[in-house]
Amino acid sequence: MSAATAGFLCGLVYFAVYFIDNAFMSWDCITRPIVVAPLIGLVLGDPFTGVIMGASLEAIFMGISAIGGSIPSDAISGSVVAVAYAIMTGGGQSAIEAGLALAMAIGTVMGAVNSLVRVLRGSLAPYYEKLAAECRPVKFFVMNLLILGVTTLPVASIVGIGVGAGVDVLQAALDSCPAWVMSGIAAAGSMMTAVGFGILLSMIWSPSIAVFFFVGFVLTKSLALPSIAVAVIGAAIALFYFFIEKDIIDAKRVGGSSEGAPQMAVPANSDEDFFA
Amino acid sequence: MEETKQGKRALTTTENATLNKMFWLSHCVFLGFNMTKMEANGFTLTMAPAIEEIYHDDPEGKRDAYIRNQAFFNTHAVAFNFIAGMTYAFERDHKAGELPAQTIDAMKVSLMGPTAGMFDSLFFNCLRVIGAGIAMGLCAQGNPLGVLLFIFIYGVSQSVLKYILLRLGYTLGASAIDTVFESGLMQIATKAASILGLTMVGAMAATTVSVPIAWTLGSGDTAVAVADLLDGIYPGILSLAIVLLCMWLIKKGARPMQIILGIVAVALIGAFLGIF
Repeated sequence: MSAATAGFLCGLVYFAVYFIDNAFMSWDCITRPIVVAPLIGLVLGDPFTGVIMGASLEAIFMGISAIGGSIPSDAISGSVVAVAYAIMTGGGQSAIEAGLALAMAIGTVMGAVNSLVRVLRGSLAPYYEKLAAECRPVKFFVMNLLILGVTTLPVASIVGIGVGAGVDVLQAALDSCPAWVMSGIAAAGSMMTAVGFGILLSMIWSPSIAVFFFVGFVLTKSLALPSIAVAVIGAAIALFYFFIEKDIIDAKRVGGSSEGAPQMAVPANSDEDFFA
Repeated sequence: MEETKQGKRALTTTENATLNKMFWLSHCVFLGFNMTKMEANGFTLTMAPAIEEIYHDDPEGKRDAYIRNQAFFNTHAVAFNFIAGMTYAFERDHKAGELPAQTIDAMKVSLMGPTAGMFDSLFFNCLRVIGAGIAMGLCAQGNPLGVLLFIFIYGVSQSVLKYILLRLGYTLGASAIDTVFESGLMQIATKAASILGLTMVGAMAATTVSVPIAWTLGSGDTAVAVADLLDGIYPGILSLAIVLLCMWLIKKGARPMQIILGIVAVALIGAFLGIF
């Protein structure tokens, strides 16, 4: 098998697992090294090496996940390149070890490439909003698939070209990009999340309870509480507020129960804060 | 719209059909995932069958519902279904005029943080590690069955739970509304939910938004990192500032796209000048 064919097949596998898992499964399962590595082994004609390396690669990338959206190292491309390298250099124990040594380095390099794609995807948010407002779910679905495909293609191509041309090319291409561009992109990615929270806050913000936003922030930042602990504290305050207000309403109702229906008369007016 | 007074009732054929469609679409959680609104697109897609059913005769309400369900959303892909089920119940009551839209937003916001933590530890840190452990043992001996086992333990199990939780969320959501509504406490419940919601947004902002300042004043041994100075005032004060700035801009009528472009521009210029 020529290097070009191998590169094409590897790029294809990368694209397939990434696209299918994100678009149709959302399991974060078939993108794990233990699935990706055997697949690469299969398409390159040495499934045995793929399966064996899958076990080691899964251990290497065990702690790395997409939690919170920031991925330090791309486990898929790391696994693809590692297995492809091992098989293309002839298989065997030493080739496998060399491939495994490559995995984390390649994964980290591709993690940087992914952050570029993340910024691109993040900047499309306003477009999605407009699309959703069109009330056409099928179009919304198709456009999402299309955008995912188009934005995955460059990364898959880089992985494919990397395998076809050798991994040195990958590193060199990234080195030629000025350092400040990379750090600027990384900074933009981590600040962009603020926009989503800003939109969220503007919906539920009201001056009388705004202080709780800061309470949540401080509990997490200064006390490093896990989100469940913060939720329990928040829920305790919310419930306390709820029951105090409920007691007041009940008291009022007992006082003024001489008029009106015995059941309930409030709902009709409760639409008032609809536009608040 | 039939009344659901008390006790459990069987799901109608329409509800069943909608829940089934939602189940299949809920596998698109990561389709269109982006750093700005994270799983918002997946949520919009999953809610589409519910919105189409509930607002089939109300184009204006349908449009509002699509926009409402396009807000920032992020939790574990399995817990996602529980919240989607609840939102379906809430949207139904909103259409019936019994529930302010703000309550729907507040419920989503307050549930996503804690469920994310709970399900991440259950699936990512527990089930995945168990599955990978078993699979790695088999794969290391070159047995490809390990791969299938991993997909079954870590992947298929997610879908099974997604199915159950979607329905549970819907049933619980409907009965929770009835209880609160019958006592006429909706406004207080909304405010209580907003308290919890704001706390959780604060908590999430503290962990996911960061402004990576790399700027130092002076040089050599006397160099002072600006990040340390700012953290001295309060850790993460810049994250707090940028979230509040975004909210302020949105309240002032700025479009998300303008803010995002602004962030990218500031990040690149800042990185060029050595600030990031």
